[in-house]
Amino acid sequence: METHGVRLTPEQAHAALADTEHVRASAAALSAAPWPNWFFVTLTLYIAAIPITFGGFMADPDWLLPRSAWMAIILTSAAVYLALFAVAGKAWRTKTGVALRFDVLPKRATVPLAVGLPALVVGAAFAFRATGRPVWLIAASLIGAAVSVGFHLAFVRLHRKTP
Amino acid sequence: MSAESAEIHDRLEGFDTTIHAPNRLRICALLDAAGEAEFGLVQKRLDLSASVLSKHVTVLMDAGYVEQRKAVRDTRQRVWLRLTRRGRDAYQGHLAALRAIVGPPDPAL
Repeated sequence: METHGVRLTPEQAHAALADTEHVRASAAALSAAPWPNWFFVTLTLYIAAIPITFGGFMADPDWLLPRSAWMAIILTSAAVYLALFAVAGKAWRTKTGVALRFDVLPKRATVPLAVGLPALVVGAAFAFRATGRPVWLIAASLIGAAVSVGFHLAFVRLHRKTP
Repeated sequence: MSAESAEIHDRLEGFDTTIHAPNRLRICALLDAAGEAEFGLVQKRLDLSASVLSKHVTVLMDAGYVEQRKAVRDTRQRVWLRLTRRGRDAYQGHLAALRAIVGPPDPAL
């Protein structure tokens, strides 16, 4: 078939598509390079801490610390986390040579996470506020940590698929 | 012209001779998947010499398909490459044209 002066057979077009798919898969695996271990641990601890700190902030009456202290902890930990995220992101880009992307994992995995994790944090805090039982916060914290570990392992697996 | 052949004709219109050169197609494929990639990484991944890659990148930049950003890493200046919006559209159009040439998959298979 002649296209814009270039004669191309279906076989040649198929070979070109196969080649681009190979390059795409290779780049996608590179984009799935997992975080360095130090930041994976930081991220997991931060996610695990969120239900506890948010629950403490929401508690009525005060639980362990005054509400203002919980707010200070929330803001400080968020600031520290964001600073470490910036450092880890730069190190990751330097190591891999590609842009940091947030659409590497399929939406069927990321959309439930984006909806479920905030619901878990808020739900556990309200359940704690209503019942006064910190087990809600501890359970949410453990689930958050497990999700973080699960996603890290998913990235490790995807990254190993490098052609 | 039937509706189906008109659709195939439209898809073939996306064929882009600038992108079609094998190395340029591979460069576009890598940049499309990676978002942005360092020159040295593209060179290594596609097994191209710096001069050949530089030549193809210049063609793609002249066409408005690729843009570059310079950043310092380990006291050395590194060049990062990315597809422009126009380049991404042209690349997707070219892939659609290639698929149109290949034709629909054989239902018997």
